[in-house]
Amino acid sequence: MNVLIGLITGMISGATPILLAALGGTFTFYAGIFNIAMEGMMLMAAFFAVLGSFFFHSWLIGLALAILGSLTLALIFILFSVRLETDEFVTGIALNLFALGITTYFLRQIFKVKGVFTSKSIVPVPQLNIPIIEKIPFVGPILSGRNLIVYIAVIATFFCYYLIFKTRFGLRVRGAGYNADSLDSSGVRTSRIRMQALLLCALFCGLGGAFLSLGYVTLFAENMTAGRGWISLAAIILVDGHPYGIAAISLLFGFFDGLGLFLQNYGVASQFTAMIPYIATLFALYVYARRVREKKGKRT
Amino acid sequence: MKRRLWSGLIGVVVALAVGALIMLAQGYRPFSTYAALFQFSLGGIGPFTTTLKNSVPLVLTGLSAAVAFASGPVNLGQPGQFVFGALAATIGGLYINLPAVLEIPLLLLLAIAGGALWSSIAAFLRRAFEMSEFIVTLMLNMIADFFTAWVIAFPLMDRKAYSPMTPQIVMNGWMPDLGLLSSSTLVMLGAVVLVWFVFHRWRAGYEWRMTGQNSVFARLGGCDIQRNFLAVMLVTGALAGLAGGLVVMAGPHRFIKGLGANYAWDGIMIAIMANNSIVGTLVYGVFIAAIQTGALGMELITNVPSEIAQVLQAVLVLIIVATREYTNVLLDRLSARRQAKERAA
Repeated sequence: MNVLIGLITGMISGATPILLAALGGTFTFYAGIFNIAMEGMMLMAAFFAVLGSFFFHSWLIGLALAILGSLTLALIFILFSVRLETDEFVTGIALNLFALGITTYFLRQIFKVKGVFTSKSIVPVPQLNIPIIEKIPFVGPILSGRNLIVYIAVIATFFCYYLIFKTRFGLRVRGAGYNADSLDSSGVRTSRIRMQALLLCALFCGLGGAFLSLGYVTLFAENMTAGRGWISLAAIILVDGHPYGIAAISLLFGFFDGLGLFLQNYGVASQFTAMIPYIATLFALYVYARRVREKKGKRT
Repeated sequence: MKRRLWSGLIGVVVALAVGALIMLAQGYRPFSTYAALFQFSLGGIGPFTTTLKNSVPLVLTGLSAAVAFASGPVNLGQPGQFVFGALAATIGGLYINLPAVLEIPLLLLLAIAGGALWSSIAAFLRRAFEMSEFIVTLMLNMIADFFTAWVIAFPLMDRKAYSPMTPQIVMNGWMPDLGLLSSSTLVMLGAVVLVWFVFHRWRAGYEWRMTGQNSVFARLGGCDIQRNFLAVMLVTGALAGLAGGLVVMAGPHRFIKGLGANYAWDGIMIAIMANNSIVGTLVYGVFIAAIQTGALGMELITNVPSEIAQVLQAVLVLIIVATREYTNVLLDRLSARRQAKERAA
């Protein structure tokens, strides 16, 4: 029983950062931006979350700084890719490496350490206990007592669905990706919509990154995102950017993430358990490729 | 050609200026810092040969990325192919002991095979299931990383060492130094010449480039797209693997933890800066190696942390690419305006 609860809560923590980053990525996906900078945005956020929480002893300031850090990267993305018309792929790769470089540099410069920074003064984002639900057996310990950002992620899933499919803004975002020229000719500036999509993406990646360093664990490690931004990109592609589909896929990855930690208790080498989410991604891509092929087969 | 040279130079100057601003903001003196940086990497024959040696993995992974991007496949698997090449060369060097004349070519071949083996997985998945190589290679990077971490922590671990690493490979497999010059530099230059020749003078290279520029045209012209894709994946994997093997054979002579670190990603950036040109990759590779090599010396005398090299590199790639593309945009606009005027008149 406790094992099962542990697995499920592990799954939820593993899913949250991927879910948040992927939700952010849906905006740029629909807006027709080939955005691969989620990895870098999350890494920036994870670092600045620790920075804020450490110096101001407040997780709220940590969260705010995390989002600011992530937004900075989005602004650079906008400057280069939207304003200066640099290739998006190139901009994304360079920004990911920039994020890795600058966080490593600051880690050394501000905290005087290499590799990992951890301290008792870092205040983590609190867990939320829901009064009545927490008493229910089995469901209670799962639904209640999760990190605040987990609940934000759940709300964000519905919010993103609403924003993209039910509002005028969402229609414009989708228009920017579907047919930029007709959006422009209808009097909406595509470049402005794309900027807004990138900023929204950064907002969600900021939350995801903050969860990594102030929720999942309470420390900052060099390159601690470890490919989660890429997995979230895969998740977006797999479900064509639909928020609910992304939630399902993220939970699946979270499950494999949790499974890895769980298997470590049974003597499986940690290096192999750590591979599991990436192998799961490959498998998901395989299923997706087959589905696409079957669709193609039916059409012809 | 001339335009590319100028936009590259402008990009470098602007990027170094931005780097200077970052240093100023931190309270460092940019001029003496840069002076120290280039003093330690280019100031004299000793520092320069060290820079050349350090440029080997950067240039080779850069070549790998440049050939891949120019030919179509989005092979971002250089990091994984790099560590697999390094692992293959290490295993060969641990268990096979031949005279150096045979041992060195054998280990190099093993490294090449290791890299090609890892990239062939992505090629196979693309061929058999139409899985996009872009995310597949990225995922394979992570898997390769964990796999090699396991190999050096368990089956091949050196019991006398304090952190995960393999024992040293046999002496006959070490890349010899020719005076100050490391022989790995010569292997690198040989690879650059060979790749340039294949890419610009051979039919296969011509077909690859055509496929990269316009795959429909290439197919109508009679190229076998599938076969070319496979060939490019194998060749680029081999180049990245060779880089890994050379790092083991010329450097620590063993597979140590974090060996692959950032070489391969740096190589990808170098290919992007060079706009996938072979000669450009060599030039930018040596330049980036100079920054990385000099950064260590700079830290010794100026207290500026060597990690700034990483920041500087990312700024460099962004600004060089932006300068190039924005110059093109501006020139296109100018010519469009001129055409409009001519038409109006």
